[in-house]
Amino acid sequence: MSLLSVEGLRTHFISRDIDNRVRVAHALNDVSFSIDRGRILGIVGETGAGKSLTAQSVTGLLRPPARVVGGKAVFDGRELTAMSDDELNTVRGAEIAMVVQNPRTSLDPLTRVGDQLVRTHQVHSGGPVATSRQRALEMMEAVGIPDPRSRARAWPHELSGGMAQRILIAMALMNAPKLLIADEPTTGLDVTVQAQILDLLRDLVARLDMATLLITHDLGVVAHFCDEIAVMFAGAIVERGPVREVFRNPAHPYTAGLIAATPERLRSGERSVQFGGPPPDLYNLPKGCHYRPRCPFAGAACHAAPPELETTPGHRALCHFAGAFDRAQEPAE
Amino acid sequence: MRTFRFLLRRALMVIPLLVGVVFITFMLVRVGGLDPVGQLAGPTATEAEFAAIREELGLDQSLFRQFLIYAGNVLQGDFGESWLSNRPVLDDILGRAVISLELLFWGVGLGTLVGIPVGLRAAFRPNGRFDQVSRVLSLLGFSIPTYWLGLVTIFVFFYLLGWAPPAMGRISLLVSPPPTITGSYLIDGLLQANWEAARSAFAQMVLPVLCMAVIAAAPIIKQTRAIALDVLSSDPIRYARATGLPERVVRRMVLRNSGVPILTYVGTEITGLVGTMSLIEYVFAWGGLGQYGLNAISRGDFTAVQGYVLALALFSVIVFLVIDILVYLMEPRSDLT
Ligand SMILES: Nc1ncnc2c1ncn2[C@@H]1O[C@H](COP(=O)(O)OP(=O)(O)OP(=O)(O)O)[C@@H](O)[C@H]1O
Ligand SMILES: [Mg+2]
Repeated sequence: MSLLSVEGLRTHFISRDIDNRVRVAHALNDVSFSIDRGRILGIVGETGAGKSLTAQSVTGLLRPPARVVGGKAVFDGRELTAMSDDELNTVRGAEIAMVVQNPRTSLDPLTRVGDQLVRTHQVHSGGPVATSRQRALEMMEAVGIPDPRSRARAWPHELSGGMAQRILIAMALMNAPKLLIADEPTTGLDVTVQAQILDLLRDLVARLDMATLLITHDLGVVAHFCDEIAVMFAGAIVERGPVREVFRNPAHPYTAGLIAATPERLRSGERSVQFGGPPPDLYNLPKGCHYRPRCPFAGAACHAAPPELETTPGHRALCHFAGAFDRAQEPAE
Repeated sequence: MRTFRFLLRRALMVIPLLVGVVFITFMLVRVGGLDPVGQLAGPTATEAEFAAIREELGLDQSLFRQFLIYAGNVLQGDFGESWLSNRPVLDDILGRAVISLELLFWGVGLGTLVGIPVGLRAAFRPNGRFDQVSRVLSLLGFSIPTYWLGLVTIFVFFYLLGWAPPAMGRISLLVSPPPTITGSYLIDGLLQANWEAARSAFAQMVLPVLCMAVIAAAPIIKQTRAIALDVLSSDPIRYARATGLPERVVRRMVLRNSGVPILTYVGTEITGLVGTMSLIEYVFAWGGLGQYGLNAISRGDFTAVQGYVLALALFSVIVFLVIDILVYLMEPRSDLT
């Protein structure tokens, strides 16, 4: 059984317009994936695809008007999507730890970083403060912070981006989590620092036997660091499977386009993987396959909602013609 | 030591500010269309009489010389004499400043004590029942004209209900004011165990203080709510939630992170409220600095207006200085200034 399995998760933004009519943004439509201990799953997709929203929905961090309206997320045998905020607070930061995109602005500006590490340990694990202090120093050491003792006394604004991100990773490790969710952990950082942080993450995941969800724009990062990949488009995982398998035989036309459009970026690690047209209007999604308007292979069948087909074991795609989309327009016999 | 250096630096920064303030008030009053000569001379005066008065007042000198003389006098604590009452403006102002500060202190104090918690509570549950009610009330407080608010309060609490004494100054006409120590009848009464005077002073103060509190609280509620909402959706709070910090810890973080902007806002608001307070003083015949200023302006009392504006500016400078210092003391990252 997987550590985290997400099935058919749907999240909507429900609001009212000036005329008091209900408006629904279908931000997550069908998100299913699972992840095992010791594995790294990379979630990629263009901006607005719903990657961050997936992480927020799973961990119960949505703020109104966003709401989970269907599906579930099961973590270690417990259903996260059915938990109260208080229950979730015992999981978040403890068993599920997060590393976010803006490390420098995310730390509490009025608390020394060491105290923040201690605080998260005290809240979740309790015990003598001295123990938490000791652990804070150990974790800072583990993420490669030189001279942790003096660094612990630093204020967040005194840290560089890379250093702040290391603190966030140390913070994530404080309570020995089972799952680490990293949402674009390197986006704001220098390229060299990016590589260091990713190496560090990979190292820690292997050593500590955590499952890791790595959200990124960057197929190159996925190719280098992940075991599995999930490709998101318009709030749905359109393809998932082992990284090598998906890269070699993309089964969904969006994935194929993504890979084809980014041979250079695969190496340079550039941001943004937008190609082939505007993102769909979440208030008014196209009928059937949401990728249809942008799909060069779309045929008549694509007006119906696509099934998730398995092409090889563990490799699935949300497409009528999974694995054979380039023949979509040929008449079916 | 570092704190001391900070204080010294801030205090020194006040000096150029004050020079600017003196200059601007001087110029404002000169170009403000006041005509003291005409006022003093009266409608039947001849050219020669006009000239004599101008000379007596020093108005025949160049503007620059006038300024130098004025600035020099101000430096020595000489704000000039009121041209109408022939009393030193400084004495008038000092005597009345205490009276106004008293009203301002209790009014703004009460408004802040109510406004900040209300704004915070509204922010923690945006669009909840409490938020909606407080929003309507604060909108009301915003939109009621000051003058009207004063009159209606008097009408309701004195005339209709009879709960408040008549709005005729700071102490009942039937009670003799206590000998001056601070200038505040309430405090002086209490200090000298003159309970009758203290009681009367307190009763006279209730309505104007309430009016000031309403006027002060409305924008404080609104700003506090906005600031707290901002902080609530800021990265540190979102991250704190993501790391599973319990709500009580998160709220404490919100408070700490909203403190400085709220304090700064209250500071700016106080300086703005001084103007509004003139009207309240007027309605309640308070006889404070605000009322003095209004009178001076309407009578074209040149030096008095100058002194009044200068006193207000000085007050603002002091308020900002105090706020700066408070912010500095609240800021745990002591190397930030
Ligand atoms: N208040 C809102 N009302 C309606 N739609 C919203 C609202 N907030 C966000 N969205 C939509 O939710 C979608 C999911 O956003 P999300 O932040 O998960 O994207 P992402 O894949 O993480 O993108 P990025 O790569 O830019 O971080 C976006 O398309 C966004 O337009
Ligand atoms: Mg995102």
